Amino acid sequence: MAGTLDMLILRILRVGPAHGLFIAQAIERRSEDVLLVEQGSLYPALHRLEDRGWIAADWGVSDSGRRARFYRLTPKGRRQLEAETARWETLVDAIGRVMRPETE
Amino acid sequence: MAPAPHEREEEIRAHLELYVEQLVAEGRTPEEARREARLRFGNPRAKLEEISDMSRLPIVDALWRDLKYGVRVLRRSPAFTVTAVLTLALAIGANAAVFSLAHSLLLAPLPYPEPDRLAMVVTHYIGADGAVIDTDISQDGRQWEAARDRVPSIDAAVLSGGGSGVNMILGETAVIARQQRVSAGYFRVLGVAPLVGREFQREEDVPNGPAVTILSYRLWQRAYGGKPDILGQTVFLRGEPYAVIGVMPEGFESWADPDLWTPLRPSTRGEGGGTNYEVIARLRPGVTWAQAAGELASLSTPDLFESRGRPREGVMMVEGLEPMQQAMATSYGLSQPIVMLAVSVGIVLLVACVNLAALLLARGAGRVKEIATRMALGSGRRAVVRQLMVEAAIIAVLGGAIGLGVGYVGLEWLKDLGSDVFGEWDAVSLDGTVVAVTLLASLVTSVLFGLVPALQASRIRVQAAMTDGGSRSIAGSARHWPRRLLVVAEVALGVVLLVSAGLLIRTFVQLRGLDPGFDPDGLVTTTASMQDKRYESAERVNRLFDDTLRRLEATPGIEAASVSLELPYARLLNLGFAMPDDPDLTRTITNAMYVTPGFLDTFRIPLRDGRAFTDRDRIDTPPVAVVNQTWVRIYSPQRPAIGRRIAIMGEEREIVGVMGDVQQTQSFRLDEITPGPIVSLPLVLVPASQTTDAALRTLHTWFWPVWTVRARSASVAAEALRTAIRESDPMLPIDDITTMDQVMARATSRQRLLMTLAALLAGAALLLSAIGIHGLIAHAVQERRREFGIRLALGATPAGTMRAVAGGGILLAAIGAMLGGLLSIPATRLVEAFLWGVTERDPATYAAVAGFMLLVAGVASVVPSLRILRLDPAETLRE
Repeated sequence: MAGTLDMLILRILRVGPAHGLFIAQAIERRSEDVLLVEQGSLYPALHRLEDRGWIAADWGVSDSGRRARFYRLTPKGRRQLEAETARWETLVDAIGRVMRPETE
Repeated sequence: MAPAPHEREEEIRAHLELYVEQLVAEGRTPEEARREARLRFGNPRAKLEEISDMSRLPIVDALWRDLKYGVRVLRRSPAFTVTAVLTLALAIGANAAVFSLAHSLLLAPLPYPEPDRLAMVVTHYIGADGAVIDTDISQDGRQWEAARDRVPSIDAAVLSGGGSGVNMILGETAVIARQQRVSAGYFRVLGVAPLVGREFQREEDVPNGPAVTILSYRLWQRAYGGKPDILGQTVFLRGEPYAVIGVMPEGFESWADPDLWTPLRPSTRGEGGGTNYEVIARLRPGVTWAQAAGELASLSTPDLFESRGRPREGVMMVEGLEPMQQAMATSYGLSQPIVMLAVSVGIVLLVACVNLAALLLARGAGRVKEIATRMALGSGRRAVVRQLMVEAAIIAVLGGAIGLGVGYVGLEWLKDLGSDVFGEWDAVSLDGTVVAVTLLASLVTSVLFGLVPALQASRIRVQAAMTDGGSRSIAGSARHWPRRLLVVAEVALGVVLLVSAGLLIRTFVQLRGLDPGFDPDGLVTTTASMQDKRYESAERVNRLFDDTLRRLEATPGIEAASVSLELPYARLLNLGFAMPDDPDLTRTITNAMYVTPGFLDTFRIPLRDGRAFTDRDRIDTPPVAVVNQTWVRIYSPQRPAIGRRIAIMGEEREIVGVMGDVQQTQSFRLDEITPGPIVSLPLVLVPASQTTDAALRTLHTWFWPVWTVRARSASVAAEALRTAIRESDPMLPIDDITTMDQVMARATSRQRLLMTLAALLAGAALLLSAIGIHGLIAHAVQERRREFGIRLALGATPAGTMRAVAGGGILLAAIGAMLGGLLSIPATRLVEAFLWGVTERDPATYAAVAGFMLLVAGVASVVPSLRILRLDPAETLRE
């Protein structure tokens, strides 16, 4: 769904700064391998988010001692995440009600 | 901010390496790990491209694509591209060059404060119908004093002509400096104060006033290194000391670009007794032009114009005022040629645009199929139009750029050609406004002719175009009508220019074909200024002449030598005379000059009657004169001239000889003389040895005596002249050494300039018309190949088919030529003023132009139709 990947990335970064590979693997891990991200697709999304000012990045060194770009959430991005989360919950709620009306 | 592309690339590489490392740590072999990483990541290149696409504006991208495509398309049809670009470049280049000239001479403001309040006091000649017939900016001393004292609305000053050379001593060497004589208040009226010192005061600017001078910045720098203690220094002019009282600022521009200024000392006698001044004026604050003109007009009583002689019946003289720029352009004869040139250039531009439109129309028609294909593949109409416009813009930009180059070269060339006619042209350069106008012209042309065919092409019904194929239909030629009309129009315009150029060429040929009245081959001349303290007496001047001539005659290789006040073909001194035996003679004006005895021999002017001057005609022998045949025809038709007495140049003289006529630059008009730039005017010669001190002093303020030698070798002659004058007077600088041929060429240089320009522009128009016809026929042949194939297969002869095709082009040219001939009748009024010895309806010129046009049209039609001969019917039908 459009914009879903963006939201997932912002959610992962709420925990703390992370590099691209970590973000991809975190999404897979948390979704218990249901959401298999093509790792490369992450980068256009990261580029877009960075362009909008929702995330910022700096070069750093990974835990294994390699150079990597670490992304972190900006205050603007945090507000965006909250708005997205709220919208997402409303949407899931609504879809749920449509899909299971007999339980009412 | 998102990172730069190379950083993103590095980030992705780091990502992959980190992942591979992880996988290896999990126990995979490095090779497996790399494959897995590639699989999970996807194609990095594709991702990077996706990212770089995100950062671009879509319209820029599309234009870039259009541009690349456009360049490719244009390179595929080099003939079209080169023709279109050159057509534009030619027109824009000509436009830029001529426009620069017109701009700086007619439109650019004068380089003085409030230039729109600067004026010249002029004399208008007004006809019976109240229209201004002629405007004369030359004024005499009386008119100057009236303008100074009796016109409260203006602040006036006066100057004399365009300045002249003067001998100046700089250190040990004598040089010729350019001097201009101006009155007190000259710089005040222009509004520019001296950088150092002051300008001339009214009490200095009077006859016998102090010898003072104001230097130009250039001379101050060159001769004195810009030393600040310049005031009061002495400059030797004409052997006399002049005290420097001021220096003008750098970049001060004025008439004649002089090295220094000296007081004019205007008066109502001598020089001021004739119209030898120009009066400049500045309107005083709050005064209107009408007010000032009214005050001047009220001065116009007959005694104000006494020195001008009586005007023709029904013509009135009125003192008036003209804006300075306008007056200058008119008086130097600049406005008429420039208007004529501008009109011609406009016509060439028009022809070029017509040609370009025809080219683009044809091309649009030929691309119907390509465009239909693009639209069938989903290109929007807007995209197609945009694509075509971009192509037109590429042509316009290329044409504009090359055109600027052409304009620059053209202007340099024009200045070169025109500098001996219009000294003011030196300063002209391609300026910013002109460049802007040029670019605008190329842009407008692009939009105009890019848009029309683009809209037309985009209106194609896709299906019809694809199935019909456009080029296969025979009836398709109906679409050629607009192009045919365009070709007729450009031929007509070309003919108008050709007729004008033809008339100017006839005029020039006529002028160069005149019998000079002497033998110019082998004559070499130079001049030197006699405005020098050492040459104030006739006796001293004659000693110089005798001394130099004796040295010249003793030089091997020199056949003859003489000194005269001026040369044939030059503008001579106009002088009044009286005939004591005929006191009722009313018109008494003639050309006159002094000569040394060898004059007639040196020039090989035939003596018709009586005798020439000899060494025995001295100051103490009876004064004599020689007249020419025209003088006899006009002033002594009834009785023999020889033996009559004539009062001229300060003496009553006996006419002792009659010489043949020589050609002169026309300096006055007589009813008996057909007007023209070069004519035989009445001429009176007097011996140089029989002149008075006073007469010589006056003559030598305007004229420099000319030394002329006849020799087989021009270099021997030049060296002999230089040596003889240097040995006679080492401190007398001489001017350039020229041949008589150069002098004669200079006399007709204005005609040559106009003729060359008109011929070039007409040639450009002719070339463009030929290109237009060629394009039309070539395109028709290309388009109707199938039809011709069928015809040839059915038994038509190639020659007959060719005739039919080429005949179409020639017919169009004939119609265009006829229209052009009709248009020329009113259009040639513009050149009427420059014609001489030929009427503006000269049938020979019209016939020659029509013949030439048809010949060119014939070649332009036949060459492309030759392709029919190479058509193979079997092959064309199979296509």
